[in-house]
Amino acid sequence: MSLFRSEEDVAKWCRRTGEARGEVLSLERVWRLALVWYARRMAEDYHGRSNHEVHLLFVDQGLASDFWRP
Amino acid sequence: MPDTNLSDQIWAIRAFIYRFFVDHERPPTTDEAATRFGISGDAAREAYRRLAAAHQMFLEPGTDEIRMASPLSATPTPYRVFIGHHSYYANCAWDSLGIPAMLGSDADIEAHDTFSGDLVRYAVEDGQLRADGGFVHFSLPVGDWYDDLIHT
Repeated sequence: MSLFRSEEDVAKWCRRTGEARGEVLSLERVWRLALVWYARRMAEDYHGRSNHEVHLLFVDQGLASDFWRP
Repeated sequence: MPDTNLSDQIWAIRAFIYRFFVDHERPPTTDEAATRFGISGDAAREAYRRLAAAHQMFLEPGTDEIRMASPLSATPTPYRVFIGHHSYYANCAWDSLGIPAMLGSDADIEAHDTFSGDLVRYAVEDGQLRADGGFVHFSLPVGDWYDDLIHT
């Protein structure tokens, strides 16, 4: 997951490198996603997430397309 | 679907790895984990392999050394996170925010814009992101993340 200044730069980067364009989220939205994804990562009882739990987490963040489906 | 049917001791080793990584800015070796848990080096190596197979961390290919315990990276990356008197490398732009999210801490982050290579700074203060814009490109769909974790 790479940082860019703009969505236009992502498009230019993909054209330059041949990298497939995936999904682009604002840094602010990625911060909110990081909060729910990583908040309990160090908890002693954190044992990972099932694919279903990952799917529900992304849907809850408004990321419901097939791209976000594990 | 990864095998997450691990023993309590292996889950405890996982917790130890994360705590050690945060405290020492590097992951523990298998010898250090063996000493901490009073187990053999072979048992520690097996625990690391089981945790990697369960997608709880990622080993440097061909070794038993931890490359990633997300969001933390054991190798330098374009994403550096400063928290208190500690500094960490994050695996990617998302993980640069994952470290303060995981630790519940303020953070100053230095990253390099992928297109220009320019240094970009952003921060987390009191649970809020302080940034002058910025976007993150997720190049691979979630279903493919573990096929090529280094480049995800």
